[in-house]
Amino acid sequence: MKQRKGFFLAFLLAIAGLNSCDTIDCTLNNIVEMRCNFYKDGNPAQLNDTLTITAMGTDEVLLNRKYMVSSVVLPLSYFNLEDTLILTVKGEDYEASDTMWIEKTSYNHFESPDCPVNMFHDITAVRTTHLFIDSVTITHSDVNFSDHENLQIHFYPSAD
Amino acid sequence: MKIFRFISILLLISLFSPLAWGQDKKSNAPKEKAPLLSGVGVGVDICGLAMKAVGARFANMEVCARVGLKEKFFPIFEIGIGDCTRYGGETTNVFSTRAPYWRIGMDYNINKKVNGNRFLVGFRYGITSYKYDFTAPDFEDPIYGIARPLELEGLKGNNQWLELCIGFETKLWSIMRLGWNIRYKTRTMQSVSELGEPYFVPGFGKNDGNAFGGSVYLTFDIGKSARKNGQKPLLGNLFGKHKQKGETTKGKDSEPSTEESPRAAKRRHN
Repeated sequence: MKQRKGFFLAFLLAIAGLNSCDTIDCTLNNIVEMRCNFYKDGNPAQLNDTLTITAMGTDEVLLNRKYMVSSVVLPLSYFNLEDTLILTVKGEDYEASDTMWIEKTSYNHFESPDCPVNMFHDITAVRTTHLFIDSVTITHSDVNFSDHENLQIHFYPSAD
Repeated sequence: MKIFRFISILLLISLFSPLAWGQDKKSNAPKEKAPLLSGVGVGVDICGLAMKAVGARFANMEVCARVGLKEKFFPIFEIGIGDCTRYGGETTNVFSTRAPYWRIGMDYNINKKVNGNRFLVGFRYGITSYKYDFTAPDFEDPIYGIARPLELEGLKGNNQWLELCIGFETKLWSIMRLGWNIRYKTRTMQSVSELGEPYFVPGFGKNDGNAFGGSVYLTFDIGKSARKNGQKPLLGNLFGKHKQKGETTKGKDSEPSTEESPRAAKRRHN
């Protein structure tokens, strides 16, 4: 009889323990942004002037007069097939703007009803004007939670 | 809390079942041999039904069929429906699924006595193929300000998992048995949509590499051992004490008298 009581007590404790543990497991690093690193002459470079980045279709300023910058992380739109970014470099006596078009496909990503839904992207092509940007290379096309480099933006030496 | 109360009541019923009243440790009754095919049982998990009835966010409603071999081995087949509708606590997201699942496995009765009690250890292998939905009505691009409700429906998933079970089962009355078991589940295979993993897997529970679960089974044993597993029926226990000394019971299902051991009877005969 004592043995049976022990079994039932263990069962009750097990059930209580199982039901008391209910956690929300959302990914902590849940920011989806495209990482662009700057290069000059094939080497990582730092831009000594201020850089401002805006996007067509939104009043938000994605990057506002950032100084001494060597890389930027930018959000991509959820529903547009192509994002148009305007990069403006401003020095002491000059100001120049280049436009960059990023073609992409986007798809949803969810983890749990308790966690916010994210949008992942796959960059398919990048075009740019060439005022101070020499070229753009796609290094990792997938834009997701990982922090890896997606684009290499190569500057002309004269942009410094 | 309602579930806890429900389970507690069931366990109390089980605890004070006729088996407990009828136990006699000093009984010298000859050991009963169980036949090879010791019975067939069908059962229903009342815990899953209760969870569904009280509106729990998920429930596995299942029935089982099993065969008893020598009162030791119990090959078992379980089939059920897993149902889940989960609303996000801090969001307006909704996950839902409803799909069947199957489990096949075996229990082993570690109780050496054929007395109606069964201490069961065993395993199950579970398989399910299901579709799940995920909706987010307030899905909005925070930068560009465009809002489009997200409705992902019919995402496909397949899961397989292994369960290790331990449980206890006792006879309530006649062919009716009540038992519970707790299960440790470990995922062996998962194939889901790349858009996102399901929150709940039918038959497995909350989707993770491992999970714990349990069930409370009401089983109906039919077959040879159903009336031979050493358990007096409820009324038999209640009125058995008032039998007269000379009164004998007929039929092979009757309990041997505990008033005089076979050894004492032999000694008296000599």
